Amino acid sequence: MYVELKHINKHFGNFKASDDVTVGIEKGKLIGLLGPSGSGKTTILRMIAGLEHPDSGEIIIDGKVINDVPASKRGIGFVFQSYALFRYMTVFDNIAFGLKIAKKPANEIKERVHELLELVGLSGLEKRYPSELSGGQRQRVAFARALAPNPQLLLLDEPFAAIDAKVRQELRSWLKGMIQKLGVTSIFVTHDQDEAIEVADEIIITNRGRIEQVGTPYEIYSNPKTAFTASFFGQPSIFKDYTKFRNFESIENIDNAVVRPEFVKVTKKTEVQKYSKSAEEGIVEEVNFRGFGIELRIRVNGVVLTARRSFDEPKVEVGEKVDVFLYQLFVTEGNEARLLKNQSLREPVVVI
Amino acid sequence: MSTVTQSSLHRDTKGSKIVRYSLIGLSLLFVFLMLILPLITVITEAFKQGFAVYSKAVADDYTIKAILLTLEASFFAVAINTVFGLCAAWSLTKFKFKGKKILATLIDLPVTVSPIIAGLIFLLTFGRQSPIFSLLQDADIKIVFAVPGIVLATIFVTFPFISRELIPVLESQGTDEEEAAALMGAKGFTIFRRITFPHIKWAFLYGVVLCAARAMGEFGAVSVISGHLRGKTNTLPLHVEILFNEFQYVPAFAVASILVMLAILILVARSVIEHKGRKK
Amino acid sequence: MKRKSVVIPGFGLTTGVTLAILSVVVLIPLASLVVFSAQMSASEIIDVITRPRVLSSFKVSFLTAFVASLINAVMGVVLAWVLVRYTFPLKRIVDGTIELPFALPTAVAGIALTALTADTGLVGGFFANFGIKIAFTRIGITVALVFIGIPFVVRAVQPVLEKLDPAYEEAAGVLGASRTRIFWKVILPELIPAIFTGFGLAFGRCLGEYGSVVFIAGNMPFETEIAPLIIMSELQEYDYSSATTIALVMLVASFVTLFLVNVVQNRNAKILKGGS
Repeated sequence: MYVELKHINKHFGNFKASDDVTVGIEKGKLIGLLGPSGSGKTTILRMIAGLEHPDSGEIIIDGKVINDVPASKRGIGFVFQSYALFRYMTVFDNIAFGLKIAKKPANEIKERVHELLELVGLSGLEKRYPSELSGGQRQRVAFARALAPNPQLLLLDEPFAAIDAKVRQELRSWLKGMIQKLGVTSIFVTHDQDEAIEVADEIIITNRGRIEQVGTPYEIYSNPKTAFTASFFGQPSIFKDYTKFRNFESIENIDNAVVRPEFVKVTKKTEVQKYSKSAEEGIVEEVNFRGFGIELRIRVNGVVLTARRSFDEPKVEVGEKVDVFLYQLFVTEGNEARLLKNQSLREPVVVI
Repeated sequence: MSTVTQSSLHRDTKGSKIVRYSLIGLSLLFVFLMLILPLITVITEAFKQGFAVYSKAVADDYTIKAILLTLEASFFAVAINTVFGLCAAWSLTKFKFKGKKILATLIDLPVTVSPIIAGLIFLLTFGRQSPIFSLLQDADIKIVFAVPGIVLATIFVTFPFISRELIPVLESQGTDEEEAAALMGAKGFTIFRRITFPHIKWAFLYGVVLCAARAMGEFGAVSVISGHLRGKTNTLPLHVEILFNEFQYVPAFAVASILVMLAILILVARSVIEHKGRKK
Repeated sequence: MKRKSVVIPGFGLTTGVTLAILSVVVLIPLASLVVFSAQMSASEIIDVITRPRVLSSFKVSFLTAFVASLINAVMGVVLAWVLVRYTFPLKRIVDGTIELPFALPTAVAGIALTALTADTGLVGGFFANFGIKIAFTRIGITVALVFIGIPFVVRAVQPVLEKLDPAYEEAAGVLGASRTRIFWKVILPELIPAIFTGFGLAFGRCLGEYGSVVFIAGNMPFETEIAPLIIMSELQEYDYSSATTIALVMLVASFVTLFLVNVVQNRNAKILKGGS
């Protein structure tokens, strides 16, 4: 493990920002710290950077406990949410600042800054001031500035929060590619699940100061270990009594069932349904157009489920009776989650 | 959104034109009568008996000495309040600590204290009835009725002038830039000089101008603490008072005219600084 | 969430210097006033305060400061309104001149206003025709205090008026309200806290004002003698206990004023934050 946190606790007044946080990060990985606001993700980032001190616990980078190492000696680059570009310095001076502080020779600084400007695609803009740049350009400057002293670890606090939705998409893939190219271990904080899934090699999910789950985006998405993780992604429908749906194993003391839209198959009465025997009847309550397709709200067995259909499937109308089949669902007990598959899936399917 | 958009609502009707012109007229009249006319009065009274009398009053030994003492007191007030203002602004805006609100209130306290009371408290602290008076006497340090007292009283009345200009600017700027610089290993003074100071440059200059203006013009507090020793502990405003009370009106206004010119200079400097600060 | 920064250097140094200078210049001297008055008995204090001449000086001080601040509240709103909403020649000069009372030494303002409003002066001569005396009366004191206090109200109201969202007025206008009605029902309520703040600051300043008043007042006991002047004359007679006692009353009065202003400002700040 390149970065390790061991039993970290941190309070702000009565607010518990970190509650016995223990987690490790491998060298060269791009890590997403994902959680709702107030979940303690930014605090973790700031403690690794040295912008905050933990009340107890150890922070280890590259095998050394760095709790008492000043922030500037930790060999990290930090990209602030607001970028914190020096407003009264040009792009060149911003990127050169850390190198000047380190007393590097002038020609070396110049060379490095131009190299970085080229890397982030801002060559020719070195004389501009931050106020003369677009949001995306500012983020690139902040990125270059953080990289200038060759940090071993790059930390990014909500790197895309201050950018227009349109540019954000483009910057995400740019940043992912850039970090992969450089191979620098990086941790970024985000509250946006899509962003984390799209950009990160590995995701750390935080909630109420605790680490909920660590894993690749696929693992976390498809195999949530905790109730929080299970209900955090997608637009899940959450309800209590799942046993009304047939063909699911019945377990005692279950708190909730979590059903994501993609777990639900909706078919019109006129359509062929593979598992028609185990489907339930539901009534369409809402039909909404979304960019990716049609989103439906369907009442089945006394609960309302969100489901999706694509444009090329025949239209359904409000009030229409449809067949609803659940492939799988998550059930939660306490903070634990497990996956239940529809048992009829295991039965051999007769292909007509 | 500081600009008022000229929506159709603001389009003039006949009635609103009358309101508009009478309000502008009233304002101009008020400003002329209350603010401009007194200035003109000072100048006309000063030159009532010709330029020769004026220049004699201004070049008078006592006047020169008063000018020098005024400059001395103002210099110290600006210097101390600069150190104080920068430290207080840094401490109050870059850190969070217990008692911060109380500290901020205490800093603002002196402006609400009457100048006479400001003078009185220094009289009580360092004067004859103070417990430390005998100590000061033994060490041959004179504060009350002497220059140090004047300097102290002047610092007191101008105390928050610089910090008050800096704090809101630093507050709105936040701490991210300083944190970013510190993360890269910059030391305190480098951070201040390269990162923070450019933000507060104009506000700082404005504070200095305000502080200097008030310091040169302070009357009540200095009046209490000075003991009015002509030629020794007389500042310009006190000199004006003495001349006026001795019915030497023309010299009194002549000396006052120096202060009027200073005031006008300060107002011009203020509007230039504000203009420059806004452009950035 | 604002956090205490652990990486920005200089906390100890700057806080230390701040506290040291604050103690020497402000806290210790103010404490000496408290210490000194603590040596006096309650009956001594009451004795001093209830002297008829002292009581009358309080009355003069509070009355003139109140009337002057009231005039400033009205004129301050008019000036702020004109400066924000209208364009006219000389506007920039008028805007700059508002600050004059901050820049002009009070003693200079005092002698200038005295010369202007005495019977032989330009303005005083005009009013003398109608039998109205300004200089050496309470009217004169009020005039000097209006001069001192005007920038406080203008500078409190101006920024609020500038930031006032025109959408409010437009909304009211769309609903068919007349312009007068819009002013009284929509704009003025928005300005009230700022006006009160300006009024309070001007009032506090006027209570303690000495330099501009001492010349124009004439300083007749029971007529035009203000409280700061009594403190001054007690000091000239080396009666420090009386001076301190009166000073204490004035100090309490201005602190109460400041406190009220702060309460209004805090409440207003909360409303503004919640509303945006």
